[in-house]
Order: sequence, then structure tokens, then C-alpha cells
Amino acid sequence: MSVTYIDAIREAQEHLLRDDPRVFLYGQDIAAFGGAFKATKGLAEMYPERVLDAPISEDAMAGLAIGAALQGMRPIIEMQFADFSSIAFNQIVNHAATHFYRTGMPVPITVRLPSGGTAGSGPFHSQSMEALYAHYPGVVVVTPATVADAYQMLIDSVKLDDPVIFCEHKFLYRWLKAKSFQGDGLPIGKARITRMGRHATVVTYSAMVHEAVRAADRLQKESGWEIEVVDLRSVKPLDIDTVLASVARTGRLLALGEAFPWGGVTAEVVARVVADGFHLLEAPPMRLNSRDTPVPYHPKLWAAHRPTPESICDSLRKLLSY
Amino acid sequence: MPRVAIVMPQLGESIAEATVVRLLIQAGDSVTTDQEVMEVETNKATMGVTALCSGTVEELRAEEGISYAVGTILGILDVTEEEVARTGVDTLEALELKRQAAAVEEAQAQSGEQNLHFAVEGDGYEEVVPQVVPTIRGLSVPTGTMGAHYISPRMRARMDEMGLREADLSAIVGSGTGGRVTVDDLEKFLDYIQTWPSSNASPMRLAVADAMRRSWTRPLATVGTSVGLDKLLQHRKAQQKKPGLTLYLLRAFALAVKEQPAVAGFLIGSKVVHPRSYDIGVAVAVEDGVLVPVIRNVDQKSLSDLVQEYDDIVDRARRRRLTEADTKGGIATVTNFGTFGLTWGTPIPLPNETLILGIGAGVKKPVWSEKISAFVPATEADLEMTFDHRVVDGGGAGLLLKRIVDLLQNPAEL
Repeated sequence: MSVTYIDAIREAQEHLLRDDPRVFLYGQDIAAFGGAFKATKGLAEMYPERVLDAPISEDAMAGLAIGAALQGMRPIIEMQFADFSSIAFNQIVNHAATHFYRTGMPVPITVRLPSGGTAGSGPFHSQSMEALYAHYPGVVVVTPATVADAYQMLIDSVKLDDPVIFCEHKFLYRWLKAKSFQGDGLPIGKARITRMGRHATVVTYSAMVHEAVRAADRLQKESGWEIEVVDLRSVKPLDIDTVLASVARTGRLLALGEAFPWGGVTAEVVARVVADGFHLLEAPPMRLNSRDTPVPYHPKLWAAHRPTPESICDSLRKLLSY
Repeated sequence: MPRVAIVMPQLGESIAEATVVRLLIQAGDSVTTDQEVMEVETNKATMGVTALCSGTVEELRAEEGISYAVGTILGILDVTEEEVARTGVDTLEALELKRQAAAVEEAQAQSGEQNLHFAVEGDGYEEVVPQVVPTIRGLSVPTGTMGAHYISPRMRARMDEMGLREADLSAIVGSGTGGRVTVDDLEKFLDYIQTWPSSNASPMRLAVADAMRRSWTRPLATVGTSVGLDKLLQHRKAQQKKPGLTLYLLRAFALAVKEQPAVAGFLIGSKVVHPRSYDIGVAVAVEDGVLVPVIRNVDQKSLSDLVQEYDDIVDRARRRRLTEADTKGGIATVTNFGTFGLTWGTPIPLPNETLILGIGAGVKKPVWSEKISAFVPATEADLEMTFDHRVVDGGGAGLLLKRIVDLLQNPAEL
């Protein structure tokens, strides 16, 4: 019996509804239909007054959630696709993010963003928005890569008083399986060493953790390189201490992400490592992201657009031969 | 008629390409089995490429001076069916079929892995077009003609931690891109030297090492001539307080420099800093090193006045009783390596000085005298001056040295 990443998200929401009467779910087609990805399947039958369908207005959804949170509720908003959360951007970054700073009143909302690419999804249903939200002070941005993290970090997100952007990767929904939701209990804000190594460090998050591990396994088999993979888990706060400790061991850094290359999480990781750990670097730090174009539809173009184990191996070979 | 390729052979492990240096055939030539058809050069050796079988050169694709990857088709031979059968070589068609099959296999192996994760399907493959694969891969490293000298921040930090300088890396063969010494190379080297007997360098040794290392960052050049010592030795005999040879040199050096102070100037950026006073140092050998006490205003004091001062400061140097002030502010140094029985040397100036004057041991030699048309015995020594070539040129240094030689011929005036 195994459980999937999407099971973890559904289960976490069920437990949150069960354990905390302040929690309610709000999103498009999440009630009777169970959500576009079935992340809320069956929950409306169990909690009919707390699993609510929203109009097709992300702006209104976020605004309602902020108001409810100010009245003491703990809403979870489901954006159907991360891409469409741009319509709620103003509510999230201007209102929710700044509210505590302006008034001393926290806004404990959790916004679920089904993120990242899957084959054939194209430009509007594949994007990764974490860097945009992480840019703003007052927002926590989490990017779970494992089944256990998806479960535990969603529960932890709802408990936080800050607005949380919960970036769940669509590719992992049904592909990623585990024996249970039981994790290692790492809190939000702590990165995890997913794979130990001593020749180079790959810092990544979300689905790219698995691609990095596959690339690392391949290089180990091919030439004995031992690659360390660091899963950031949350991109804000960014656990730079764990990253620096890893670079101290290896001397070489590849920052890997599925988002577009301009700026973003990988750039932030490189900037911080260079600023605080220049003396640790044996080679210029590298970044590998998707291409600087909209996400293509065609599966082959898409495979060429995002980092793959092949392109990660290529980058690592360059890094290791420096 | 079957066609057979002349292929760039695998020339050794880790060799990906070779440069054609000489073509020994041209189109239309007949060749025989194992005949050398061209010479190629790798970074390791020059080798011949041979024809696999007899035939006529149909096409020559290689050009001299161009680098080709291993496996590139350099030319094509027209051969007979019998020759193919006799030698068992692959014809061009057979070779290309083999390569296509290999490419398909590789593409399938790759797409198989992709399918594991993504629904990428397809049976496409790319024909393998041999390309010049650079033997040095990876990120570009700043390199000089003598190889990579780039030191990574991590390497720099490790060197600082160990108190190492770039000169300490000279024994390490770098394994990084362009021959760069990596931090792993350094660690291996440090482990290796652990197996050798070692001792701690004395503070004196370290001080000399540091001064010489800093000085050596400049373009230093040495010029020399011989100087007759007979007049000087006669003069010395007549003195009550006998000045040493070094002291004569010190005095002549100061007077000569004073006539054209710019030669002892120190170049800082676009400025030449001139001497403020004619304070000259004297190299004194001490245990495990050398000290350079400075004698002040050598230009303004007579030889006899200097004897006491000189003897005193040299004595204190030998007893290691110099104060910091005693060694500061010199504009040049005199060293007498003749005291070690050496006849010549190439002394290195202090890092804060442009000039150093050295003298070897006096040697009695036959010297041709025009006056009496015969060899006469004379005592001579070699006089060498090392200078910072950024500040002085050979001509200027020669003039200065010549002037010192002249002054030493009139010891009474020193």
C-alpha cells in the first residue's frame, strides 16, 4: 500500500478540517467536483459548510480569504493552476503580505499553487511562481519535494500566522509515491540533505530534487563522482546555513530550478553563497534553469525546455572538471 | 568499385583529436597497405596515419594544420573487391551503417531513460557527425602561456590557512582545466610531503624567503664586469684603520648613485620615487639567513670615518643585536660573496630597493699590458649588479657599474 503526493495534500486538508474548526477550503470546483486535481476529493461531503466553491475570480478568492483570516479563520485557497494566481497577486503581495507590518494583525492564509510543468501542459499551465512571491517581505513560500513534506508542510503552513504560498508540484501528484505520510519532522525553513556527496552540491527544490538525484546516481555509476543534493524545502525562508555547510564540504555549487532563468531562487542561492562563502568555492557557481522562453506544449520541446537528468549531468561535468 | 575510408585513428587514451601536420598523398595517388598517408600531431606525439589497404586516392578531405576528431573520415580510397576481401576492411558503406546502428542504440538508451520519467516518445536519432571535441572541457579558466595560474577562492583560503604562497605550489602538477592546480591537487600534495622528513623553518629563514619572494615579483636583470683591485689593496695597506673591500665598494656605490639618483629610484605606479639620502645596506651572513644593516649618508663620510661605524654595525648584525631602525631606509645594498670564496653571483635586491651590487673573490690573473707588451700579474674581481629592469636598463646599469669601477681605481679619493 503506497500513498502519493496528491494523497498527502488531500489527507493533510482532511486532518486540518478535522482538527481545527477555523480551517476552511475555498477554490474553483473544489467542492462537489473535488478540485481539478482531486486534491479535495470527498472533503465537501465530510465538511459541506467548510469546503466551498469559489467564483472564477482568483482576486475575489484571495480577498475573501484575507478578510476571513482577519476575523480569526485559517482559510486554504486552492488556485486551480499556479499560473492563474497572478490575478490574485495584488491581494497577496500588497494586502496579505504587508498587513501585519502595517497593523500588527497577522493574515494566516495558505494559498495552494499547483505548480510546475507536466508533458503537454504548455505556457499557462506549467509555470513556477515561487520566485515572484518570495520576492515580497511578509510571505512564506514552501516547495515540498516529498510525500511526507507535502503532508507535514501543508499542516505547518496553516499553523503559521504569516501568509504562506504552498507550491505543490503537479508532476509529483501521482508520480511520487511513499509508504506513508510519516516524515522526519523538519520544520519549515530547514533544508534537507537528500543525498550525501563530497564532490559537488546541487541546491534545488520541488520536482527538481528527484531529477538531481537521478543525475547524481548516474554520475556516481559513470565516473564515481559523489554529488550532494540539498532540498531547500522552503525557498523563503532560505536555509542558507545548510547550503553553505554543504558547499564547505564540496567546494562546488550548482543551483537548479525549474523556473525561468532570469533572477529567481537559483540566482538568490548563488548570490548568497558567493557573498557569504566565496572562500569555499573551488569553481564558479553554476545555475541551471528552464529556458528563457514560455513553456512549450510539445512534449519534446518541453523536455528540452526544462532541466533534465541529462542537462544536469552536463552541467555537473562542467562544474566538476573546472 | 568499393570505397574505403582513411579514418583518424584512436591515437591513445584520452586523445580526442589530432592536427594534420603533413599530407603525404594527393588525389589520384596509388597507395599500398600500411603506407603512411599523413602525419598527425597530438599534444603528446607526432604519428603517422596509414592506409588500411591498397588502392587509389579518390578524395582527400583533410587539410594541413586542421584538427580532426578521432573517427573523422580524412580521405577515401578506391579499392578492388579482391583487396577488400583480402584485408577484411570495412568499406565506406559498411562503416557508415555501423555508425548509424551505434547512434540508434545510443538514442534508444537515452530515450529509454527519458521515458522513465516523462512521456517523451519517438524513434528518432541523430546521425553522429564527428566533430572536433576539445580535449579540455568545461568552464573557461584564465590561462597564461605557462598554463593556468588561476587560484580558486577556496584554494586561496586553504593556502592562507596553511600559510602557503603561490611559489609553494610550483611542485604541483595541476589536474584542473588548463592545468589549474585544484584544491584536491593541493591536499594530495600536502599528504605526500607528510611522508618526507621535515623541520620547521626558522623565523630568519621565513623572513628571507618572504623578502626574496616579494622581490622576485619584479623583472630583475644582472650585469657584470671585472674590476682591478691592486690599487685598492695598496691603498688599504697604507691605512691605519683598514677598511674592508666591502666598505670601498659601499663608498664608490654611494658616490656613483649620487651622480644620477634616478637609477636607484623605486617605481610605484607611474611615479619614480628618488633616494632621499645615500644610505646603503650591507649584506651580512648570519645563521640560517642574511641581515642587511644600513649605513647612513655614505656619500658624506670619508672611508676612514666609516670604518668604525661599519665594523660596529656588522658586528652587531652577526650577534643579532640590530635594532629595527638599523635595517630601515636603505636605497641599495652591497654584498661581498667573495668572502665565501665565490667569484661571481646574481644577487637579488631587497624588495624595497632597485639595486644590489655584488663582488666576488679577488683572483690573481695575467693581464695584458700594452705599455710593456707583456702579461703582468693583476688582482681582479667580478663585480655584478642586479637591477629592477622596470627602472633601469642595461645601458644605464652598465654606466653605473663602469663609474663604480673607475672610482675604485682612485681609492685615495673615496
